[in-house]
Amino acid sequence: MTPLPIAHAGHWAIYVLYAVPVLIVLGSIARTMLRDRRKDDG
Amino acid sequence: MQLTLPIAHALVGKSDLPIPEWLFAWGASLVLIVSFVALTLAWQRTRFEDEGWRPVSEWISRALVNRVVGFAAGALGAFLLGLTIYAALKGTEAPDRNFSLTFVFVTFWLGLVVVSVLLGDVFRALNPWRAIARAVAGVFRLIAGQSPPAPLHYPERLGRWPAVIGIAAFAWMELVWGQSGFQAVGLVPHDVGIAVIVYSAITFIGMALFGIEEWTSRGEAFSVYFNMFSRLSALEVREGRLGFRRALSGAVGWAAVPGSIALVLLTIGVTAFDGAQEGVLKDAITSLFDTLVDAGLGPVASLRVTNSIFLALTIAAVAAIFWGGVAGMHTVRAGIRIRELGRLFGHAFIPIALAYLVAHYFTLVLYQEQAQFTYLLSDPLGDGSDILGTAGSGIDYGLIGATAVWYVQVGALIVGHVTALVLGHDRALAVYRDPATASRSQYWMLAMMVGFTTLGLFLLSQANQ
Repeated sequence: MTPLPIAHAGHWAIYVLYAVPVLIVLGSIARTMLRDRRKDDG
Repeated sequence: MQLTLPIAHALVGKSDLPIPEWLFAWGASLVLIVSFVALTLAWQRTRFEDEGWRPVSEWISRALVNRVVGFAAGALGAFLLGLTIYAALKGTEAPDRNFSLTFVFVTFWLGLVVVSVLLGDVFRALNPWRAIARAVAGVFRLIAGQSPPAPLHYPERLGRWPAVIGIAAFAWMELVWGQSGFQAVGLVPHDVGIAVIVYSAITFIGMALFGIEEWTSRGEAFSVYFNMFSRLSALEVREGRLGFRRALSGAVGWAAVPGSIALVLLTIGVTAFDGAQEGVLKDAITSLFDTLVDAGLGPVASLRVTNSIFLALTIAAVAAIFWGGVAGMHTVRAGIRIRELGRLFGHAFIPIALAYLVAHYFTLVLYQEQAQFTYLLSDPLGDGSDILGTAGSGIDYGLIGATAVWYVQVGALIVGHVTALVLGHDRALAVYRDPATASRSQYWMLAMMVGFTTLGLFLLSQANQ
């Protein structure tokens, strides 16, 4: 029987945990860029 | 026969860490973010654009940099090249008992990186191919009364690309041709001996065509490779005089030569693949390998094709992170082309390449150098001789615990990436002129650094689980 993807959740959770810092930094960059663009437009 | 050396670089048994491994990645990222903020606030003018080179006192310089030392270093390099070839062709085929494999893949390939960072470009003096070519040129001068002419002019656009090809071939030979994963493909000393002879022939042809110094500085793969790391060193010889410069400042501008970015990304990618092939990529490699075997390809060919594909994909992924970050920097201020930005900031990735090497191969060097300087030196052919009386020595695998190794690896990755941030920030101040724009451009550098740090720790944590 093919295991459901959820059975590998622990495995994927590790990937996500390692990706969190990168996502936070990229999110901060996106936020800063949007803020700067609004400031430029205004 | 399987190359057994890399068994030692895997990380095992980190059971007594106080926190989960992924939390180290968070901590390392936090250190980078704090460093970034500190740089933005406190580092307002460039420090590395001027190397500040100053000579050491003349007697020290003369004692260390002179014809006798130069000749001795070249002779040592030529002797070791000869010993490597002889041991590879005439010694035992057992990889762990033959001098050549440990010497080429550990002492030379990894050990000289550390030496280059600490002492500068020492391989230039030790380079056996340069030493032999200079000796031949000297004889030519005695007979003909003039230096041998270089028939071809080295094309500028070729830059460091021949060296990139050489390093890629070396890495492929180590990781694909003779990889140590779940299938024994085989890298025997004899193969290494043949490879060294072929490479030597190519090098001498290059030197004959383009000139000894020209080919050494641009085309000879290992000169270019070790020189890249020596750019981080505070020591440099200029016009025959030893001197000190600001540590790291020698790296600035290094990536302006074509092929340089490819070389540093290749170095990171190759190390990342070596860590991933027995960890995170193992299932994917097995899957493609099975598919190719089922399709009728032989097992050895299937494994080599599979590993070649994944090696190329890993290097491509590293390059994608780099060029993605550079493209992000491009959005901060238009006017500088993306490729040009890459060349302006490519040198900042040399410390990352170093950090990856230290983190990944720390234990390999620690263990194999015990073998190198005891029984392999005393019995280079592995035929039972005992020249130095140390042939009976072994490797002390208990020299350092797995937890201590993990801390060394985490430390190396953090220090390497913080150093990269510093180099990037300093360069940004020179490129963008005003600190605010420089800092904005370095958000992207920070993202790349956090990405490479977490990737490095992830690969190490997944190795041999």
